[in-house]
Amino acid sequence: MMLFQSMFSPSSSPFRHFFFSCLAVCLALAAMPSYAGSRIVSTGGVSAIEGAAGGGLSPWAVLASTASEQEIGVTAAATHAWVDDYRLTVTGASLNVYDRIEVSVARQTLDLDTLGGELGQDIYGAKVRLLGDVLYHPWGIWSVGMQHKRLVDGTIPTALGADKTSGTDMYLSASKLLFSAVAGRNVLFNATLRNTNANQGGLLGFGGDQSSRSWMAEGSVGVFITPQWVVGAEYRQKPDNLSVAKEDDWQSLYSAYFFNKHLSLTGAWLNLGDIAGLPSQRGGYLSLQAAF
Amino acid sequence: MSFPHKCKRTHRGLITVTFATIAITLAGCTHQSATQSTTLYERLGGQGTIDTVVENLLYRIADDPEVVVFFANTNIDLFAESLASQLCDVSDGPCHYEGPPMDRAHQHMGLTDAHFNRLVEHLDAAMQAEGIALGARNELLGRLAPMYTDVMRLQ
Repeated sequence: MMLFQSMFSPSSSPFRHFFFSCLAVCLALAAMPSYAGSRIVSTGGVSAIEGAAGGGLSPWAVLASTASEQEIGVTAAATHAWVDDYRLTVTGASLNVYDRIEVSVARQTLDLDTLGGELGQDIYGAKVRLLGDVLYHPWGIWSVGMQHKRLVDGTIPTALGADKTSGTDMYLSASKLLFSAVAGRNVLFNATLRNTNANQGGLLGFGGDQSSRSWMAEGSVGVFITPQWVVGAEYRQKPDNLSVAKEDDWQSLYSAYFFNKHLSLTGAWLNLGDIAGLPSQRGGYLSLQAAF
Repeated sequence: MSFPHKCKRTHRGLITVTFATIAITLAGCTHQSATQSTTLYERLGGQGTIDTVVENLLYRIADDPEVVVFFANTNIDLFAESLASQLCDVSDGPCHYEGPPMDRAHQHMGLTDAHFNRLVEHLDAAMQAEGIALGARNELLGRLAPMYTDVMRLQ
């Protein structure tokens, strides 16, 4: 019950309207019969919270949508996460050109339910597939990416000790599907190495008194119960740059269902640890993605 | 203030347990499949089912203008026979595929990933239509997937 209250409680945020518009657009577009890329359903993953194709918390090496060679794909996604003292809303879009380059934009808004106020940032991302394919290549698929993040208002992060109000993450990611690995089911593995100075993904600014840039490991495992339904766990190591706001690694248990190549719905249970002085933040996550 | 530390330990512990469970499950399943006495060929339903899958696949190809063009100069009967024997061979059945190697068979056709993906989709749909269980479908697709490199080598 609390879950629904927190999900749908009224908010003055203008982004809430944008969020629901994006949700409506996703559903309307998905209902229309239209062009789909030729890659196999689900090989584009879903939209991670920073806009890139991935799981929920971490980008994967796969590129968004099902666009293949000589094809172009577009995705739009709306995401809502709610933990004990915060609510995160993300709207994002991405473009996949020839399954070689992915560019993405995302707007994150974090409602500080307990502390009051809100934090927001814009994320501009790009990912390039270096080699391989998640299904067919013996080494899987390998990609490099960057995410440039700019805080909407840096007052609170700066007050907490963050050095900067914008920053850029660089990452190397590999994904590989193992066919028939568990009880005849296919299993998807992802590993990402990220160089970052972002505090809580950037929402609490960049760098701090304890350290600045560091390398972080992220990973996930997912079992395809059916070709359209994957359940798994994701883990994202995090830096701890601010002495006044201890930061923990993030983890999730997720379930993503691909209705078809155009529409997917992801649900997750989140454990995000301490955020800005408030301990052990746990909660839920829902994300809807439309792809063309 | 030992609470956060304790929390972090529980946190790490949970992750370790999750990944260990997955690793053990994976190891267990690998062991199980290694000791399984039935071949993939048998689980696919033997030659009868393989032949109907090939026939079903050919109808799907015939209906797909993007793919059917590559079969313009193909002797379909010969192709069907060759593909059925290849699927039988790959799934540890009592056949020996004697057709051309995959790179030679597809050379200079101008195939793209899009064509390859469409054929994978058609094959999986054909297997599904002929009632093959998901586990056997996944395993056969897994054995065919490495052929991608050979098929695309001489494009």
